[in-house]
Amino acid sequence: MKKIYTYEKSREAFARAEKVIPSGIYGHQGPAEGCYTPVEAFPFFSSRASGSYLWDLDGNRFIDYMCAYGPNVLGYNDPEIDEAAAAQRAIGDCTTLPSTKMIEFAELLVDTVASADWAFFAKNGNDVTTMAVMASRAYTHRKKIVFFKGYYHGVAPWTQKIDYSGVIEEDVMHNIYVNWNDIEGLRRVFDENKGQIAAVISQPYMHGNFMDNELPAEGFWQAVRKLCTDNGTVLVIDDVRAGFRLDIAGSDHYFGFEADLICFCKALANGYNVSALCGKDFLKNTISGMSYTGSYWLSAVPFAAGIACINKMKRINSPKILIEKGTKLKEGLIDAGKKYGFDLHVTGVPSLFYLRIADDPTLMLHQEWIAECVKRGIFFTNHHNHFINASLTDDDIKETVEIADEAFSVVRDRHDK
Amino acid sequence: MTDSRTLAYINLFAVLGTLPYLCELDSEASALIEGKNITIGISVKDGPEGRIVFKDGKCTVLEGADPCDIKLSFSAPDKFNGMIDGTYTPIPRKGFLKIGFLTKNFIKLTDILTKYLRAEKKDLENKEFFEKSTLLMFHLILSAIAQIGNEDKIGRASASYIVDGTVRMSAGNDIVLSIKSQDHRLTAIHSAPENYTSFMSFDSVETARKLFDGEINAVACIGTGLVRVGGMISQVDNINRILDRVALYLA
Repeated sequence: MKKIYTYEKSREAFARAEKVIPSGIYGHQGPAEGCYTPVEAFPFFSSRASGSYLWDLDGNRFIDYMCAYGPNVLGYNDPEIDEAAAAQRAIGDCTTLPSTKMIEFAELLVDTVASADWAFFAKNGNDVTTMAVMASRAYTHRKKIVFFKGYYHGVAPWTQKIDYSGVIEEDVMHNIYVNWNDIEGLRRVFDENKGQIAAVISQPYMHGNFMDNELPAEGFWQAVRKLCTDNGTVLVIDDVRAGFRLDIAGSDHYFGFEADLICFCKALANGYNVSALCGKDFLKNTISGMSYTGSYWLSAVPFAAGIACINKMKRINSPKILIEKGTKLKEGLIDAGKKYGFDLHVTGVPSLFYLRIADDPTLMLHQEWIAECVKRGIFFTNHHNHFINASLTDDDIKETVEIADEAFSVVRDRHDK
Repeated sequence: MTDSRTLAYINLFAVLGTLPYLCELDSEASALIEGKNITIGISVKDGPEGRIVFKDGKCTVLEGADPCDIKLSFSAPDKFNGMIDGTYTPIPRKGFLKIGFLTKNFIKLTDILTKYLRAEKKDLENKEFFEKSTLLMFHLILSAIAQIGNEDKIGRASASYIVDGTVRMSAGNDIVLSIKSQDHRLTAIHSAPENYTSFMSFDSVETARKLFDGEINAVACIGTGLVRVGGMISQVDNINRILDRVALYLA
């Protein structure tokens, strides 16, 4: 039997945090948005990380399948990336004139990403999805944006819903929502809004929360591409979450089509703070004419890290490795569940897998199982897709499956009594 | 940010909808309806229609203004809302012989309700009063959530994301109520559900009170365990968004 973790120091730190920080830890890395249910099962703060592991304040070690919600693609503190970053830090980072590392990074992205003729840098995914929508409006002189339900494109008001705190009706009045994989629905929307749709924005496949992830239907993306082209609408792919975990050339390339604009962040620099908007040549002039910048957007250290990260991902063919590791884990987890009579669904691309015990539509059983995994050292979350990183070993996968097995047995015992 | 039509629904089915629980909890209120057999119908043009039935020492609030003994008709939601906040006095369209109940007992009942729902700080120091007041607020808020989810434009957007099922809402060990969602229409259920798809529980009546009074935020309390959520959390998340709008309407 595995040791059951406790989190006294995490709780002490949280008590300090909530006095000076709204909700203690806000956003997706906090207990509320992170769906830490039951909250006692989860640590709140980390002390260090290395490779596939994360240690909390109480010294508990976790095999971390959230990977900082994506940025950890090669392993925490990958020496090759850290050395490149350190070398750049020694000569300059945030300076009045930008470093030519920016050019080098853009050249590398243009060479790597199939649909990229240029690259524009910022800090977070939200920066570049917002830029993509603004650029689409600037280019087309249209207002409306089409989303696929279950989307997540950041936290700017336009990405949120009308009922979110701080969002006003006018922020989202030009948003149109279509069901995922519903090409006829999209066609109807184009017919009803002739000449008014600036952009269709979408993740490469549906990796929303609280639902099994859903890949594009056969021919879906090609039909979307054609509709956008025929209607003079910009096709924006938000590859912030999936980027470089499916295909080093971009997730549009993986699914056999070309985006007009494609947004990257998370896996771009293995945890160094940079995001990128890449796009087609016809949009370059539009981007040039826009006022959109930030204090740290041209810092050189993340560019150096990004260059090293892309080069290493290309060299080791990391998407292939991640999908193979994810597939092995997926099979192990499903088999462990079956042993105890649980129907574990593992959906999405295996490098970006989503978990759900399908025996209980309320998800309470699933939450119990996740909690038992976390308390034994596997950092899963309840209702978000997970991430594989390249440093994950076969031993890590074996240990994960063993813990998952024990967690399944605990939940089964509890419900058989 | 709010609309008078939704407020009218809240005033009828949530504010006046709390009368049945008041009559169960408060002896003075209970005495006021003892032996009465009378129904007040309320009809609001372009708004809600409902009736408040006093019979066999009990009070119930139902949809539809008829059948009734006294009928209050309002030409617009604003007029009805004016009656609730005391700025408009309606003239009954029928039931003049029973008007005494309306002008005496009913007014007194609503005064008692106000005492609990807009409680003075001093009164809340009394534990029994505090608990009754918080329980009545819970009933009120639960019904208001359903009305906002069904009638308010932004509330309807939140409800549109709520999958079918029942959300169990509790405070401490003693207060357990629920909200049912079916085809994105919400119904307040003023009792513990047999089965539920998600839950939101406050560790104590005091925590619930602080949340209702806007002193704490549910999201912030999840980390400390004062508020617990589980099951189909997206239901709770969207109910919580509607809950934010309750304060706007009931302020």
